[in-house]
Amino acid sequence: MVVAVVVIAAVVGISVFTRVLPLSQPTPQVSEIRVGLVEPLSGTYAVFGNEARMAAELVIEEINSKGGIASLGGAKLKLFVEDSKSTADGARLAAEKLVNVDKVHVIIGAFISSHTLTMLDVTEPKKVVVMADALVDYLTARGFKYIVRLPPKASVHGATAVDFAVGVFQQNGMKIQRPVIVHFDGLFGEVTADGVYTRLRDLGIRPVDRIKYPTDITDMAPIIERIRQANPDVVFVVPYYADSVLFAKAVASLGLKVPLIVGAGGTGLADPDSIKASGEAAEYMINTYSYDPFLPTNYNKQLVQAFQNRYGKLPTEAAGIVFYTLWTLKEALEVSGKNYPDDPLSGDNLMKALMSLDITSGPAAETYPSGHIKLAPNGDNLYAQAVALQVQGGKPVLVYPFDKAQAKPVFPRP
Amino acid sequence: MGADFGVQLLQTILFGVMLGGVYALAAMGLALLFGVANLVNFAHGEYIMLAMYMAFVFSVTIFQDPVLTPLFNIPLFFAIGVITYLGIFKRLIKAPPLSQIAATVGVLVLLRNLALAIWAAEPKAPPYTVFATSFSIGPIIVPLDKLLAMAVSFVTLFLLNLFLERTRLGVAMRASADDVEAVSLMGVDTNRLFLLTTGISLALVGLSGSLIMTYQAVTPTSGLLFGLLTWAIVALAGLGTVKGILIASIIFGLADSLASGLWDPRGREIVLYGLFILILWVRPKGLFGRR
Repeated sequence: MVVAVVVIAAVVGISVFTRVLPLSQPTPQVSEIRVGLVEPLSGTYAVFGNEARMAAELVIEEINSKGGIASLGGAKLKLFVEDSKSTADGARLAAEKLVNVDKVHVIIGAFISSHTLTMLDVTEPKKVVVMADALVDYLTARGFKYIVRLPPKASVHGATAVDFAVGVFQQNGMKIQRPVIVHFDGLFGEVTADGVYTRLRDLGIRPVDRIKYPTDITDMAPIIERIRQANPDVVFVVPYYADSVLFAKAVASLGLKVPLIVGAGGTGLADPDSIKASGEAAEYMINTYSYDPFLPTNYNKQLVQAFQNRYGKLPTEAAGIVFYTLWTLKEALEVSGKNYPDDPLSGDNLMKALMSLDITSGPAAETYPSGHIKLAPNGDNLYAQAVALQVQGGKPVLVYPFDKAQAKPVFPRP
Repeated sequence: MGADFGVQLLQTILFGVMLGGVYALAAMGLALLFGVANLVNFAHGEYIMLAMYMAFVFSVTIFQDPVLTPLFNIPLFFAIGVITYLGIFKRLIKAPPLSQIAATVGVLVLLRNLALAIWAAEPKAPPYTVFATSFSIGPIIVPLDKLLAMAVSFVTLFLLNLFLERTRLGVAMRASADDVEAVSLMGVDTNRLFLLTTGISLALVGLSGSLIMTYQAVTPTSGLLFGLLTWAIVALAGLGTVKGILIASIIFGLADSLASGLWDPRGREIVLYGLFILILWVRPKGLFGRR
């Protein structure tokens, strides 16, 4: 009887002891973290999706080679790539496969905002976190619970283009008086151009013309003629890539003289592929980007070098967004593993971990333009910042923010 | 304001005529194949895209300037035409239209994805052409690249017209466009006729690809733009003459340019295809159609 009491007391005691006073926190048993990537790998927008895929493969390889997620017992990230085929339906189907078949824990995508929206119809009910690399403002303004977005939204790009232009004019003792806004007519073009318009309006400047054109435009000459008739001192342009080559070539061949042409939105004009295709016509073109490949931090330099070594090109908009998005995910997973060991990969816990981050150092901060990532309740980065690159001598150089610029912007355009 | 508008109008009309000149050459190849061989080629836009890519390749590797690339593009695309005819089109000539559409849509998908696999999705364009400049006549600006493209197009169409009007082969082609059975009964080798027609059709595509690349960029989806447009031009012109294609193309070029320059660039397709429907409503055979 005494023996029985002692045994029962010992068992109960040990059990209480181990529950109440654990000797060390248990490491969650996670074999892998499944990361989905939905990008336009074929079709009209494939140029962006393929660069994003390259960046994701590179960074995930690096995270895994450095031991994976420490707080999850060194669990590795496994990438599941799906092609949206440059359509909204394609993005929805891709998300359905990733959520229902591959059982991913998080999805990065889908670069095009309207495609991302269809993806959210699939991911929200299943509580799968989406880390968006699409920029249109409304994605984070519709009350979705499982979305975050680190890059600056479209209207911030528009406002940044204006701030840059105003600064350049001020440095030269001038004021903007006759701006013209030119943009493609898709949603991204509209919202980015609205950002330009709103910032100009706030500064008391009224555009003399706002010209919208279809993305599949085949001839820019009539647009250039209309700009010429408006006699602007600055042209704000929001192209969507291939049209930026047409625009640059038409400006050059028709001899359009404007003191400053500033792009907004990070697609076309000043990235290496657009420069290659536009040739001399690209010279002095400017665009705003969500990523600065010339950010002089140690990690960014290493990563850019590694990207160039592997893919033979400079990483720009699509790759850059994936760089800091994946490193931010890594930080969140570390937090989730520590704080929610019972269920570190659930959508709710992962969101809580993401919202608790305040990153000012490490690879995510070192690849982010402002060096600071902290999410607002709607999922946007409170410290979002865009930069401006200008083509000088056939290469893109950082010209804005002025305090970090590699070179002074060439103004007025020769 | 009135003078400014006059200048803008004249300038926009000039751009429209130039654009129409380039469209004409791009559509002529399609009209020839459809007219003579009765073949519905849905991959025509993709062949133009391929010709643009080859012009890009030749200009960055050999010539440094797309202006010289027709020297390679014309014979290359004639050969591609011959191969395509022997490999695919020959079996489609007597097939029902639905089979022709299915097979050429297959070619379309194949070529588009082939371009994506080879050249990726980034826009490609020759970085340099000596004609990427302009000169002024008073307040009117004349871009040299488009002037050249239009001039080459007009000369080519003039020569093609002479060929169709004055040579035995050309006459056989025109006769085939009217009644292929009768031509066959007259002892003409229609197989050889269709082979040459496909070759010439794609040689014209090769030339138009080179001309377009003097001012354009190409992506794997560029064929989309030219596919529908060239079909609309052929339908608007009606199956008949080179002149019909030229006039229909200039109407399209003008509508395109005037809508973009004076109204709203987004209304371009409304004007283009609204005009298209209106003309076909009044003249169902097209402007110059014989059948």
